Amino acid sequence: MNLILIPIVLPLVSAFALLCMSERTKYLKEVLAVGAALVSLLAAANIFLLPPTALSYSWLGSGISFTLKTDNLSAFLLLAVSLFSAAISVYSFSLPAKGPAKWFLFNLLMTQAFAAGVALADNMVAMLFFWEGLLVFLYTFIALSQPTHAAKRTAMKAFLINAVTDLCLLAGVVITGYIAGTFSMSEISHNKLTLDYSWSIFAYVLLLVGAVSKAGAFPFHTWIPDAATDSSAPFMAYVPAAIDKLLGIYFLTRASVYLFALDGKMQLVLMTLGAVTILVAVMMAFVQKDYKRLLSYHAVSQTGYMILGIGTLNPIGIAGGLFHMINNAVFKSCLFMTAGAVERQTGTNDLSKLGGLFRSMPVTGVCFLIAAVSISGIAPLNGFFSKELIYKGTLETGYKVFFLAAEIGSFLTLASFLKLGHAAFFGKRPENLKETKEAPFSMLLPMLALAGICAAFGFGARLPLEWFISPSLTALNIQHGVLSGFHPDKLYFISVIVILAAVINHMVGLSAGGGKACKASDHIHYAPVLKETYALAERRAFDLYEQTMDHAVPFASKLLYRADRFLDWATDTLPSGAAGFFSGAFSRFHNGSYPLYMALTLAGTVIYILLAASNGGLR
Amino acid sequence: MDKGLLAYLLIPLFAAVIIPFAARCRRKLADIIAAVTLLAGLANLAWLVLRPSVINGGFADIPGDGLSLLLVATIYLIGLCVTFFSAWFMDEELPNRPAYYSLILVSVAAMTGVVTTSDFFTLYVFIEVLAVTTFALITTDESAGGIEGALKYFFLTFPASALIIAGLAVLLLTLGSLSFENLRIFMASDIPSGPVTFGAALMLLGFLIKSGVVPFHAWTPDAYQGAYAPVSAHLAGIVTKISGVYAIVKLATLLRFFDGRAQGLSGMLMFLGMLSIAVGALAALRQKDFKRMLAFSSISQVGYIVLAAGLGTPLAIMGAVFHLVNHATFKTVLFLNSASLERSAGTTDMDKLGGLEHSMPWTSWTSVVALLSTAGVPPLSGFWSKLLIILALWESGFKTYAVLALLFSIVTLAYFMVMQRKVFFGLKTRAAENSPEVSAPLLAPVVLLSAVIVALGLLFPYFYTYVRVVTERIIL
Repeated sequence: MNLILIPIVLPLVSAFALLCMSERTKYLKEVLAVGAALVSLLAAANIFLLPPTALSYSWLGSGISFTLKTDNLSAFLLLAVSLFSAAISVYSFSLPAKGPAKWFLFNLLMTQAFAAGVALADNMVAMLFFWEGLLVFLYTFIALSQPTHAAKRTAMKAFLINAVTDLCLLAGVVITGYIAGTFSMSEISHNKLTLDYSWSIFAYVLLLVGAVSKAGAFPFHTWIPDAATDSSAPFMAYVPAAIDKLLGIYFLTRASVYLFALDGKMQLVLMTLGAVTILVAVMMAFVQKDYKRLLSYHAVSQTGYMILGIGTLNPIGIAGGLFHMINNAVFKSCLFMTAGAVERQTGTNDLSKLGGLFRSMPVTGVCFLIAAVSISGIAPLNGFFSKELIYKGTLETGYKVFFLAAEIGSFLTLASFLKLGHAAFFGKRPENLKETKEAPFSMLLPMLALAGICAAFGFGARLPLEWFISPSLTALNIQHGVLSGFHPDKLYFISVIVILAAVINHMVGLSAGGGKACKASDHIHYAPVLKETYALAERRAFDLYEQTMDHAVPFASKLLYRADRFLDWATDTLPSGAAGFFSGAFSRFHNGSYPLYMALTLAGTVIYILLAASNGGLR
Repeated sequence: MDKGLLAYLLIPLFAAVIIPFAARCRRKLADIIAAVTLLAGLANLAWLVLRPSVINGGFADIPGDGLSLLLVATIYLIGLCVTFFSAWFMDEELPNRPAYYSLILVSVAAMTGVVTTSDFFTLYVFIEVLAVTTFALITTDESAGGIEGALKYFFLTFPASALIIAGLAVLLLTLGSLSFENLRIFMASDIPSGPVTFGAALMLLGFLIKSGVVPFHAWTPDAYQGAYAPVSAHLAGIVTKISGVYAIVKLATLLRFFDGRAQGLSGMLMFLGMLSIAVGALAALRQKDFKRMLAFSSISQVGYIVLAAGLGTPLAIMGAVFHLVNHATFKTVLFLNSASLERSAGTTDMDKLGGLEHSMPWTSWTSVVALLSTAGVPPLSGFWSKLLIILALWESGFKTYAVLALLFSIVTLAYFMVMQRKVFFGLKTRAAENSPEVSAPLLAPVVLLSAVIVALGLLFPYFYTYVRVVTERIIL
């Protein structure tokens, strides 16, 4: 078999093999899943090391060919996808809270296969096929993760939001393919589309909607916080934290710099979208009281940085966006894993019930610290370097306001992680958590691995930039200079200022909240104007999906119901009523009266003869 | 007159004369002679047409124009079924029993005369003979309803005869001859048609009245409902079709409706056909009496034939002829079933009947076959004829008519479904408690005709070949 097919076909086959296994077998399914994921990871690494190749089958008649292509960006993405699949399959090995093991692993492997397909597909139609496949498993993933009604509801929410935006993507792909005359992305890139006329703007915006919604940007993010509470930690660590970000940002990059040549206006749109996503989500994250929910808002917020980075359209910004994409996946996945470990060991994710866990769960705590420092952008961990690149790219465009927004986002990120870490791992330990033990090895191993990557990409930031990001930019045909290096310049000092500000803010919050870490955000949460805004947000007044479901959908369904009744009336009541009326009239008329019949016959005869005379002959 | 088919006219006439003498000592002999005569004729016809060599030759060897032969066969078939049915249905002691069979045979002879003749005057004579015998047949059981129906039939159809005579006179004056051939030659020429068309229009009007097309239909429900039960089958199944509808189809081909001569007349005919379809179907929806519903259904189905005849294209004529044959089979089945119901349950009032499917399964299921054929459900024969008609309408650009014809065949299905549910399905009513299935001889004709319906539907390709031969011969 061709090497390229292994990351797609092997998980697919393993997933169906899993379904054939009895639910009672112990660890057999897990072993199979881990094995498949590890072999895929090896294959992906091998593909990454080999020079770019392509595999092409003719498909759907002429014009559309099923092409898998391993250029540097795709291979890099495939490697990342496989890495997280392997990490999660190991992580979930002895985690009971993931739902039925069979279905969890089935969904995991299917998602891996389809994600690998998206990463490798060069033809947009083939990519769309894999992309839509992911949607199906997104639904089953959430719906089967917990046996509650809320899980089904959230699954439906996720499904509907993504289905609508996937339809946008579908339309965008069709229009793009129509304009360009081909669906092959590498062919389009030779002759990039420009946004000179309205159809191409429309196509790009549709692609943009599909991509950023997959990545979970504002305003398509609302299912992620719900899924954080209604589904399992490994799902969160896998799909919204890693796979969705990777694929969404990957395709955003492809669309924005590979397929289309954007202009200043669209650049502004992208950067605004990024900045708004950063601020809105981080504001929400800051006040959360639930471990996973807080993380989920950060997952949204970090997307904003990537979009902002890509939106700058200069090599440094794009490099930052891509670097932040992989960094975010690493540390966010790691953070969700710590959340899952805490939940498994203590039985809760509520910050007010947690505290002082560092002593009983030191490894988890260290992993959390590394990942949290990393996400907050503190040197010298990996988050600092990718954010620094994004800041640089933003400043290079000249729009200082976006730089400011990104720094505010950093400040709130750090503040909320101070609160989270303080509330969960430090402070006073509640009585009922005295007996808490460290999580099992199978959960610690992937956490440690990811935390190690955080540290490695930070201290040796040059390596990932040279190995992954720089070849990716080359694959996107972007000329760029040297990207790496730690510079104690202005940006570094600004980040120090931000760190100090966040620490001070945490102190203020602590003293205002009576020393309780979980209330360290209350001074902002209940500040005059913000209080009302937050209250509205809690009631989901800003959630487009809920608003649609609560207001537009009942109205539309009532309207459609009315229309349906009208059609019923028109096809049912009206004809039968009319037929009944006529048949009643006719049967009453045939009352057996001879004179009446005779009169009718005579009248008919007279009219007939007159007509025949005028029409036929005697003229 | 087609001399080859003369025997089919003379032999029943001869049998009709013999019956009163033969039946004087042995009353049963009347049934036997009548049935045997018709059966022999039918067997002869079958040999003429259904030999493998003839079928393989695409029916090129059949004598005459083919239409006569087809219709003679239908007449004999229905006549045989009615006779056979009557033999077991009729009260043994009925005083005018021999006369009844004589009349049936005379009407068969007259109908044969109508369909084999080749000039209008002979046609008229036979139609009058048919009218008189029909008048007598309706009153067979001497009930009040029978007399009333007979009188209505008489009084409403004698103006028709007068109109036909008037039309004949006009034709004779302008054309100088009454043979079909002359009219055909005249219409094929370029001479302005004027008075000839008018004369033909008067004759058409007479035939329209006789075939019971709206608005000249008022006599049919009363006559069919009041007539002696097997007679209604005879009347509705074949007599009115031959005395009226056949002549209309014949005139339509002679007047060359298909090439736009006499276009006004064609339009009027189509309109009246459509009106019949609509009024008949809608009126049938609300009927409470089985036989009366069948009568209205007859009006509606005649409408289809008239509509197609009015259109006059070869395809439409094919449909019209085929529908004429189909209508004879399925309407006879339904009327004979209504007679069985009358015998078994004592009433044909649908409100009093119900749940008869268990006690009378044969009657019930033959009714289903017949009604599905009437409504035009594939693969039964009625489907093909309606399809031909609707296709012909669509092809010629009469799309509104085509759609309406289709819609009203749904109404047809509706009223027959209502009938089937009220009479045969559902809960048993008191009248249905003591109603056993009728005896096998009474079922035999119905089952035979149902088999014909199914066979004509399934073997449609062969039949289509035959009808096409007929159409080619009578139109070109």
